[in-house]
Amino acid sequence: MDLNSPILEIKDLKACINNNEILRNLNLTVNRGEIHAIMGPNGSGKSTLIRILCGITPPSKGKVSKKNGLAFSYLGHKNALKTYLSVRDNISLLGLSQHESLKPFLLSLDLSEKLDVIVANLSFGQQKKVALLRIFLTSADLILLDEPFVGLDSTSHDLLCKFLEKKLNTGAGLVYTSHIPTGISSKNIVLD
Amino acid sequence: MELLLILKNEALKLVKKTRAWLGPILIFILIMVAFPLTVELTSNNLSDAFYPVLFISILLVMMLATEDIFLEDYEDGTLELFFISEKSLSQWVFLKIFMHWLFIGVPISLLGAFFNIGANNDLASSLMLFPALLIATYIFLILFCFGNSLSLTKGSVLGTLITLPLTLPILVVLGKLNTAIIFNISYFEFLILLFGILSIIIFAFPAIISRIIKTHLE
Repeated sequence: MDLNSPILEIKDLKACINNNEILRNLNLTVNRGEIHAIMGPNGSGKSTLIRILCGITPPSKGKVSKKNGLAFSYLGHKNALKTYLSVRDNISLLGLSQHESLKPFLLSLDLSEKLDVIVANLSFGQQKKVALLRIFLTSADLILLDEPFVGLDSTSHDLLCKFLEKKLNTGAGLVYTSHIPTGISSKNIVLD
Repeated sequence: MELLLILKNEALKLVKKTRAWLGPILIFILIMVAFPLTVELTSNNLSDAFYPVLFISILLVMMLATEDIFLEDYEDGTLELFFISEKSLSQWVFLKIFMHWLFIGVPISLLGAFFNIGANNDLASSLMLFPALLIATYIFLILFCFGNSLSLTKGSVLGTLITLPLTLPILVVLGKLNTAIIFNISYFEFLILLFGILSIIIFAFPAIISRIIKTHLE
């Protein structure tokens, strides 16, 4: 596997929201096995950049090139959980009920006792952990995470770091946003 | 396989979110039970007023049933995930509407036919009415879903109001069908007309709705 082959590339990216230019002349190349951390204050365009990389939001100018057949996982600010369903039902909705690694991850995230709890009754951090299960159990060449560490306790934080580092060794690329240093060695892109 | 998974997921969501389908059905029952109590009607008058009240009730209930049909998935990020997964969004819209019709449209059509027996004391006209109600509920559901998608981020009322004129021709056809049932004349022509309308919008509208939803996501 060629670890230096770019799986995602952006050139001269410009993004405007309501006529406000929030990203300008941004260039980024994500190779296999690389982590890119997008840092910056609130409103600097971190989430917009992640949404552009996912293909949800089109850029105002510039080009986003993705490798053909690229499988990617995305976790944004919204957890894509149904709050009126139990954790078990949400896992079922994602089609992950039969995944062989489900039980170990449930144990690691301290969720195995919460399977029948309605998601609305979980804390914000616990809901985030349920959402992270999707990232943990889905195979992807590129993982895009928007503020993934917000709301996590130190155990889950460490588990996420370890998981991401492990994924990098398998050749996946990672782009995530954060306000604060996360302890993962990465190439930082600072937005202002 | 993918289709079955979407259907299963939509069914699971509706089963667990009882108010989404039971609420509209209960409101329909309430209207149909309450309307004869509110006015002084002879048996003949009741029979005359039954069909218009039935059709308008179905229209209103279908409007209610689609109130937040896409909003929940939009707000919790499910639609974003579906969008980036490169699966067919129009297929998802089609199946979602179909599942809502199974949970709301079919029971309401059954109840409508049942209430017709009570109002007109006539099983034969109920059997004629039932397929028309099945088709009409599906058409109303699709049209209101279209309106709902138009105003996904602005509240569903605005979109519904915009869509309301589109339902008027359907009401006119239902009125003609009602006359045909009463006088026992050329009932099938109107049924085929309704079916023709449904067969066009059943595939065209999910594609349009999915395009509108994509625009909202962007």
